[in-house]
Amino acid sequence: MHEKSEKFVLKSFHIGATLLVLLGAMTMLLPYIWMALTALKTPSEAFSMVPTFLPEAPQFHNFRRVLTEFPFWRAVSNTMIVELSVISVGTIVSALAAFSFAKLRMPYKKTLLLMLLSSMMVPYATVMLPQYRAFQALGMVDTLWPIILPGLFGNAAMMFFLIQYMRGIPDVLIESAKIDGASYLGIFVRIIIPLSKPALAAQVIFWFVGIWNDYFAPSIYLTSPRVQTLQVLIASLNSTYASGTNFPLLMAAATLSSIPMILIFLFFQRYFLSTVILSGVKE
Amino acid sequence: MRSASTLYRLEKRWSLVFIALPVIGFFTFTISAMVFSFWFSLTDFNPVRMETRYVGLENFRRLFADALFRQAVFNTFFLLISVPIGMFFGLLLSVYLQQKGAKNYALRLLYYLPAVSSVVAINIIFRYLFNGEFGLLNHLLNIDVQWLGTGRWPIKFAIIIRNVWAAMGVAMVLYLAGLNNIPASYYEAADIDGASIFQKFFMITVPLVRPISFFLIVTGIIAGMQNFADAQLLANGNPQGITVVYYIWVRGIDANRYGVASAASILLGAIIMLMTYVQFRRSSWVEVR
Repeated sequence: MHEKSEKFVLKSFHIGATLLVLLGAMTMLLPYIWMALTALKTPSEAFSMVPTFLPEAPQFHNFRRVLTEFPFWRAVSNTMIVELSVISVGTIVSALAAFSFAKLRMPYKKTLLLMLLSSMMVPYATVMLPQYRAFQALGMVDTLWPIILPGLFGNAAMMFFLIQYMRGIPDVLIESAKIDGASYLGIFVRIIIPLSKPALAAQVIFWFVGIWNDYFAPSIYLTSPRVQTLQVLIASLNSTYASGTNFPLLMAAATLSSIPMILIFLFFQRYFLSTVILSGVKE
Repeated sequence: MRSASTLYRLEKRWSLVFIALPVIGFFTFTISAMVFSFWFSLTDFNPVRMETRYVGLENFRRLFADALFRQAVFNTFFLLISVPIGMFFGLLLSVYLQQKGAKNYALRLLYYLPAVSSVVAINIIFRYLFNGEFGLLNHLLNIDVQWLGTGRWPIKFAIIIRNVWAAMGVAMVLYLAGLNNIPASYYEAADIDGASIFQKFFMITVPLVRPISFFLIVTGIIAGMQNFADAQLLANGNPQGITVVYYIWVRGIDANRYGVASAASILLGAIIMLMTYVQFRRSSWVEVR
């Protein structure tokens, strides 16, 4: 009897948990669905006192209007300029430094490494004003330079992760290359890079998503439409359109800007879900 | 054939060449910027005025006299409640979705989605959902809360809800990695002893994922203290919802009051650096699969 009632409790508990998780899943999905549905509505539908779920007549032309009436493609290309320049140069710089820390004999190695890693401790808000002042003095405010330039010097988090990974590469490979007369740069290009490909790929994907969604620094520096990245453009449309003039257009722009990241996430889902890159775990 | 000591010298030289750019970047963008931040906080520097005077701790005195700053500090700390709440839901989710299978995998993907979504898009949608007149949330729950109004609490809870919504999935993924490391035999032994499902959860699961909880709470607090987008986009600068970083931005970049803003940024930096230091000390930053 006791056994039976316990089973019943467990079973109803499981059903309750399932319902909660599914309700949670709907809550997760709802904002995205609501964004896409609102993008297809008319302005008056979007601001009706009794929200309707489906648009009466889907306004597909809202998407075309976003692409033609706003500097949308300009913003995409600005974002891609930042992505490509920062990631290409920044990854090489980070990987080279990681190779040096992981595999080469270096004076004051520990001190230098701790010094570079300590930059991760400093919040952006603490260095924001002097950086802004400096870029202002250089005439670089309202250009892409303040967004690109710091990234060209590498990324401490990426470097740290690559050091961990490269430590696993056998020293024998490096020693034998040295005997064959390879230069250090040659070892980096021919041995380290090919063997670090999975780690580099994961880091590049994360960085790509991070730059695409980056908002704080770009919003400070990029004020004119000519230089705005996608996120800054959408935020500026928000301040123009949120009051109601054409809210569905804003939602259409937000939808379009989200689609590439959702696709990347679905395509590289394993990188995001099964490998937790950095997590401090110590008993 | 070069001698061993020549090779060693060569290696040392190249090793330094390879880290030169990150080191230069560190001194340019971090160290010198911090020194200037410190200097700004002790002067009345203003980019549109020529002369600059040393004012001692005057900026810090003004900072604490500024009601907006005190409010921003209170808000920033209050909003951190979302960190443990998000962790709690994340842990429950990880326990429920622990078993392999297509359905669970799809649900994991769904819960993680906000982590790759832009804060701009998310905040614009949530501002719309929370709208007091035509927002979906009030309509679905049949309530009448002015989430975005000037009331003391509604906007704070709106920001907390939005952050719990976004943070659950990240906590879930980390906890899933932690659950993988708990031997099944622990639960089997508890079953033999007749432990209930709650006992197993609180006596085995919770204590054994503690290192992950510690990591999540510290990184969550560090990220929460740097929140800017919620204050600007969801709260739209509403004093009841602004954060310290928003305060630094609005006083510094917007109003050219570098002294007061830098004083705030120095205090924020000190707190965050201390927390990160604690995190570094506690953890070995290992890779978990």
